[in-house]
Order: sequence, then C-alpha cells, then structure tokens
Amino acid sequence: MQEIVYKFKNLNWTLVMSVLFLSLIGLIMIYSASNAEGMRSTYSHLAKLVFGFTIMLLVALININTWQKYSFLFYLIGIIILIYATFYGFIGKGSRRWINFLGVNIQPSEIMKIFLIIGLAKFFDERKIEGLRDYLFLLIPIIMIAIPFLIILNQPDLGTSIILLFLGAVVFFIVGINYKFFMFCGIIFFFSSPIVWNLLHEYQKQRLLTFFDPYKDPLGTGYHIIQSEIAIGSGGFFGKGWLRGTQSHLDFLPEKKTDFIFSMLGEEFGFLGTLSVIGLFILICIIGYLMVSSIEKSFFSKVVGIAIITNFFISGAINMAMVMGLTPVVGIPLPLVSYGGSSMVTYFFGFGLLLSIELSHKIHKEDNLVNLPFFRQ
Amino acid sequence: MNRDIEEHKGFQKRIFILGLGKAVLSSLIIGKLYYLQILNKSKFGKLSEDNRTKIKILHPERGIIFDKNNKRIAENRIDYQLSLLKEKKNLVTREIIKLQKILNITEDDFFQLNKNLKRKTLDDFITIKKNLTWEELETFEYFSHQFPFMSITKEKVRSYENNYAFSHVVGYVGYDSSVKRKKNLPDLKIGKTGIEKIYDSILVGKEGWQKIESNSSGTIVRKLDNLKSTSGENLQTYLNSDIQEYNYDLIKKMNGSMVLIDCYTGGVISMISSPSFDINEFSYGIKNDNWKVYQSDPHKPLLNKSISGLYAPGSTFKLIVALFVLQNNFSLTQKYFCSGSTELGNHKFHCWKRKGHGYVDLRQAIKESCDCFFYNLAKDINIDELAKMAKKFSMGNKTKIDLPNESSGLMPTVQWKKKNKNDSWHLGETYNAVIGQGFTLSTPLQLAIMTARIASGKIIYPKIKYDPNTQPNFSDLDIDKNSLNFVRDSMFGVVNEYKGTAFSSRLKSKKYKMAGKTGTSQVRRISLAEREVGVLENKELPYKLRDHSIFSGFAPFKDPQLAIAIILEHEGSGSKVAAPMARDILDNSLKILNT
Repeated sequence: MQEIVYKFKNLNWTLVMSVLFLSLIGLIMIYSASNAEGMRSTYSHLAKLVFGFTIMLLVALININTWQKYSFLFYLIGIIILIYATFYGFIGKGSRRWINFLGVNIQPSEIMKIFLIIGLAKFFDERKIEGLRDYLFLLIPIIMIAIPFLIILNQPDLGTSIILLFLGAVVFFIVGINYKFFMFCGIIFFFSSPIVWNLLHEYQKQRLLTFFDPYKDPLGTGYHIIQSEIAIGSGGFFGKGWLRGTQSHLDFLPEKKTDFIFSMLGEEFGFLGTLSVIGLFILICIIGYLMVSSIEKSFFSKVVGIAIITNFFISGAINMAMVMGLTPVVGIPLPLVSYGGSSMVTYFFGFGLLLSIELSHKIHKEDNLVNLPFFRQ
Repeated sequence: MNRDIEEHKGFQKRIFILGLGKAVLSSLIIGKLYYLQILNKSKFGKLSEDNRTKIKILHPERGIIFDKNNKRIAENRIDYQLSLLKEKKNLVTREIIKLQKILNITEDDFFQLNKNLKRKTLDDFITIKKNLTWEELETFEYFSHQFPFMSITKEKVRSYENNYAFSHVVGYVGYDSSVKRKKNLPDLKIGKTGIEKIYDSILVGKEGWQKIESNSSGTIVRKLDNLKSTSGENLQTYLNSDIQEYNYDLIKKMNGSMVLIDCYTGGVISMISSPSFDINEFSYGIKNDNWKVYQSDPHKPLLNKSISGLYAPGSTFKLIVALFVLQNNFSLTQKYFCSGSTELGNHKFHCWKRKGHGYVDLRQAIKESCDCFFYNLAKDINIDELAKMAKKFSMGNKTKIDLPNESSGLMPTVQWKKKNKNDSWHLGETYNAVIGQGFTLSTPLQLAIMTARIASGKIIYPKIKYDPNTQPNFSDLDIDKNSLNFVRDSMFGVVNEYKGTAFSSRLKSKKYKMAGKTGTSQVRRISLAEREVGVLENKELPYKLRDHSIFSGFAPFKDPQLAIAIILEHEGSGSKVAAPMARDILDNSLKILNT
C-alpha cells in the first residue's frame, strides 16, 4: 500500500495534467459536434475518458519490467485478436474491423500499435544489430511488422496500417539501424509503388488523387477536404465561438466527431484554438522526451518511450495535415480528442507505459542509492 | 563502459533527428493554419457564408390600377410555384422524373424550366412549375418529404378583373428582355404595353430578398434577415369600368375603336380597340402557339387602334376646314351650287349624294356633309395654312396621351409631299384633303381630341392617370369664339335637324342634346366606269374594300361634358353604324356619370 502511495506521489503529474487537459478539449468538442443529437455521445465519450484515464494510472503503477517480460506474449495476443477480428469481427464505418468484447466494441488494430512497439523494443533490447552478419536477424522484426500491417491493410484500414509501418520504421531508426538500410527500403518502395498502387482499393486511389487536386471534383471526392478547409479558414483568429460553427453544425463538415474534429475546433475556436492544441501536442512531446532522457540504463524503456511519444505526435500531425489538405485523407483520428474508445484507451495505455517507465527507473535509482554503503545510516 | 557511452551518443543523435522531423512537421502545420485562418480568413469566411445562406428574391407586388370610382381594373392574385434549390441543379433530371409521378409537367413547363436553368441570377432557387392548382398543391404537400430540395413559394401574379374590355388601354405585363435587368431579376414582370408600360416605374415597386440558412442537404434550417420588397404604388385612372364594359359589349363584334373623353379634364373615360385579346393569358405567360395566332390575325387584335390605328378622317375633317375659312372671314351667307360633282381640269370630283344638294351655305354643307361645297372652298385654300389650323386640333400631331406607341397621324403639307413623294402639291389633292381623304390620316384619339377642343374651346390634352390633387388647367384656343359657336351649332344640326346626316341618331333623352359629325372613310378609289354604272352599295363590296364608318361628337350640347370618336372598320357610312353607336354610348355614359 505504501508503495502505491509512494508511486502515486512520484507520478509525472505535468504529463498527466497535460494529457487530461487535451482530452477535456476533446470532450468539449464532442459536446459541440453531437449537440444536435443530444447528450448520448458526450456521456459515452466521458465514460471512455474516465475508463482510459484509469487504465493509464493502473498501467503506470505496474513496473516496466513486467511489461518487458511479457512483451512477446502481448504481441502474440494482439496478432491473435487481429486474426480473430478478420474472420469474426464486424465492419463499422465501412472499413474498420471491430470485435465485440463483453458488450464493448473494440478496434483491435489500435491496441496493436502498442503491442508492436513493446514487441520490437524487446527484440532490439536483447539483440543488438551491429555487424553486417546481424542484419540477417532484421528479418524477424520486419516480419513482426509485416504481419499486423498486412492484416490491418486488408481490413481495410489504410490509416492505421500506415501508422503501424511508420512506427516500425521509427523503432528501426532509433535503435540505430544503419542509414543505408533505410535508403535500401526507400529504393525498394519506389520501384514497387506501381504494384502497390494496383493493390489499392478504388476509393483509396480516389482519395490519393483527390489530395493532389481537391478542386477537380468539388462536389464529389474533393468535397470533404474543401469543406474542411472552409471550416478551418472561416474560423479566423478567434473562431466563430463554441457551438456556433456553421460548417460543422449545418453538416457541411463530414465526420466532425471523429476524423474532422480538428476542423471543427478550427472553426469554433479559430487560430487561437488550433495553435493551443498544437502547443499541447508539442508540450506533451517535450515532457515525454525529458522523461525518456532521464533514463540511463534500459534500452527497452528508451525505445518504448520514444516510440509511444512519436506514435502520439505523428498520429496527431497526420490527422491535422489531413484535414488541412496537406496529406491525403486516410482515416486517422486525432489522439485523445476524436470520438472513439479504442483509440483513446490506446493512447492512455501508452502514456501509462511512459509514466511507468519513468517511475520504475526512479525507484530503481533510489534503490541503488540506498544500497550504497555510505548512504546507509 | 565506453561502448555504452558511444551507444548512448548514437541514440541521442537519432532522437534529435526524430525531434527535428517533428519540429518541421509542426511548423508546416502551423504555417498552413496561418495561411488558412489568418491570411485567407475573409475568403473562407465568405465561402462558409455562401455555403450556409441561400438567397430567395422577393418580388415586389405590383401596384393596383383603379378606375375613377376605385374599382379594381388590374390587381394581383397569389400564384403557387414550385422551385428547386439551385445548388441541386445537377439533380434536376432525376428530381423531375420523380416529380412526374405525382404532377403533370407539360411541355411548356419543360420549355420554361430549360430557360430558367440557363439563367444566371442572384436567386438561389429555380422555378420548376408555376400556376399550381389546389389539387396539385395538396398532392405535392403530401409527397413533399420525397423532395427535400424543393419548396412551394407564393408569388403575386398580375390578374385582370375583366380580361377583354381593358386589354389595350391597361396593357399586360411580361418578362423583361433587356439585358441589364434580366441579370438580376429575370422573374420580375414589367409592363409591356398600355398603362402597365408607361407607368411601370410607379407600379413595379422594389424587390427584396430573404436570406435562408440551410444545411448541407439543402434543408431549410431557419430564416435569417430579410429586406421586404416594397409594393408598387397604386394608380388611379380616369377610366370608368361600367362605361368601358358597356362600350366593349357594343363594339366587340366589329373591328374598330372608340375613345370617350371628359371635356373638362381631358380624362379618358373609355378607350376600346376591337377585336380584343385575353389579357390574363398574356400576364400569366402566353403559350407560343397562341402568341403566333394573335400576331398573324389580319384584324390586329394586339394593336391599340384608338391611338395607333391610322384612318382617313373623312367628313369629320370638314369641321377643321370650316373653322379655317371662318378665320379667313368667310361669309356665312355664301352659297355654292352642288350638282353632285365638280370638275377640276379633266377630273371629276363627286359629292357623296349623286343627285347633288342644290344651293347650300356653310352650315348646310356641314349638316348634310356636302362635298361639292368644300371643293369650292378648296380652290382658295393653301394646304400649308390648313395644316397649321389642323395641328391646333392635334391632327397630325401627337396628343401627348400617357400611353405608349401613339401615332402622330399625318397632315400633309407641300414640304411633306416634296420630301416623301418627291412631287409638287396639286390642287386636286387639296380637293381630297378638304373632305378628309387623300393623304390625311388620323387616329381615333385625335378625332376625339379635335371634337373635345371644338366643344370646350380649350386646348384639351388627354390623360389616363387621375390625380385628385391637381386640376388640369387648359388654355383657350386662339380661334374666334363666334366661329367655334358656329361650328358647334352646325354639329348640332347634323344630329338634331331634319336632313342632318345623323338625324336618326339623335339622343332620345329630353334632358340632353348631342352634337357631332359623321364621316365615311373611303378605302378604295371609285373608278369612272363604276360611277357610270352606279356606285356599288357598301354591302355588295368585299369586306376589305368597304368604307370605314366614322363619327365624332359631344354631349350635352349646352355645356359639353363628353367628347367621343368612333371608327368602325369597313362598316359603311358614318351615319348608319358609328352615329347610332355614339348615341347609345353617350346616352348610357351620361346616365352613369350624372347619377
């Protein structure tokens, strides 16, 4: 009990508060987005938020070594759930595979991101890649990425699978894989892109084409992105005010609760609002970096910490870039803000791990100090 | 240990690069946000406003046209129309196919719709079908949930109480075809003819608009601010509905026209042109086929003959000639012998009475309409001087009535002939001119004004619009009072004395006496050969060659109140048809006006 109180006191409360603040902004936006249909969505989102927050604290209290020990098991469980979802899951919103777990709908591809991160981190923690001979072993993490990537791509969920691939690459990058490897991958990707193009679904191709010129078909495929830009732009510096966004409340803005919630924020709270949210993202990122940089020993912890922060930041950035027409529309929700339990719980889970990493190493350090002969009293 | 440090350094370097990537990404996003929200705020703000708001043009209600007794002649009725949100233009075919299952859409509707679709306007709605009946309205309301982009709108449409009697004088409304107006208000109807045209700026009013907030599917969420349209001003006229309708019934079976004028004010009490046309049909939007029928009708139903029809004034012009010679000190006792014809060179000029009138003086010549007497006068008449006199009575000049497309008629002069016929003036032409034949042309309105000026001795101008605040003040004619009295008295003789050409048409009322002058406007030239075998009776001639029947007059004789002119095409001599009709009209009008 004392241990728990001690851990609680030593939690990084700056991170906890920042994360909580961002998710409260999400709650406010969800309220506005679902204003017309009553309070159902808001309550539902609030419940998920409370649940996710609890998960974060619980995960934080568990020692990181425990997570490290069972990393491969979690990864395997993740893969099994994904395969299960492929065969027995149901399709929600056109593309994503969901499973029903104890009456709650879960999107397993979200949680897979975390499991992949810890799986890869454990692999690289145990086997350092240095010589040329070691590169043969890279086949294992590549397969570890490829399996969930292909399953999710097949769901089909282009956004999540791209994020997954990107996270794999980030882990490869930070564990110190030679730059030549990335160049090699780049060349392979370049030459295989025509094949990949042919493998894409028609609507995915359409989205990519639309990205390059949304005004070519303003009422068809380009409609969403144009309406989103109008929403953000019309917000101006101060925004139209909470609940007063016309683009969103009159349904010109698509998917305003989920993928396009940032546009709604831009419309109702203006440049001030969007800048604040980006600021919050950067703040959380910096806090994460500081937390990770305090660790000296555990390679696993460092990799997991950086990967989790990157996952959070990149998902957010892609979502924002997407609604502003900087990247093609690939359904990625805005972390902690968009409506959707699985995604939110996953990010809370990630932050829980981040907290756990810092906490575990703090205790470890203090234990070591206490064990030193001159420290004893 | 050394390796650990190196490894740590490498790790830090990679993390730094990753962080740098994130920084670049962040600045890209913030840059784009700055571009969208700060630099292009107004552009996107406007786009969002356009998204949300739709404009519905509110057409103004046209002013009502009243007669002198405040009876409505032209008013507006509610027309229910079906319109489509312009944004959903590309769905129109699909929507129409759906609509056809419940409503009958005619070819004419399609024709109009195609026109509407091509037009560029401020209005965010396109009219699909007009003139919905109650049944159609109910049917649509029942199925309206299937048509989220369509709505029923109420528009005011011009409607005329009596759709034949007033057609020419009131005129009809239609779409403006001028480029400037069409752009903004293509659905606004403007006056095309008659009062509707000349007083359009008063009647038309000012359009308004209604801003509507609608969501992405085009469903109307709420009404925003609006600018109410301003109705046009109402207009009161000198017309009298009861008299107009009575007169129309008299004249409608013939081709011709009549004008009835108030001798004090110049107010036009009644003005009819026959055949008439259905004015409501025009105002609701006439079908192309019907328009062509009207256009090609030889009786010219669309022409307002009262002001645009040109006829030889016939013997009614003798009044002008009489006034002219009296001004030049012509002796009232001077007599000429009428044998039935007069010779000039080797040309014979005939009197209408083949046996001749014997010795006649000026009064008799007017009363019995002796042509030979006037031929004798013609010898000493300078046509240019005569034209000056005629113009005092608006013959050959516009009467300046407040109606569009008035003809000025024609009063020939030496110069006119030189210019238009490239020939000098011949005395024979003066012979024709003095009996109102030849080149001289006048409109029925000019005849009525001539009569009114003779009757009142003032320079009367005709007026349609009645303004209760201003009394027209006309100056006196610069013609000797005695001469005018003499002509008036002669006109009294025409109607009220035995041998007068209109004696059979005298007023039956003991209260009033009518004065006037008959006329017969010759349409053809009677050949010498025909004279020898005997001139054909009018009835024996083909319709197109028959004479026009003319009468102009005023009543009551003492203190003239009304002046009238009637021209009936191809109905024969003035005394037989026009004069009795004038009597009936004046009789009825005086009864209506003075009770």
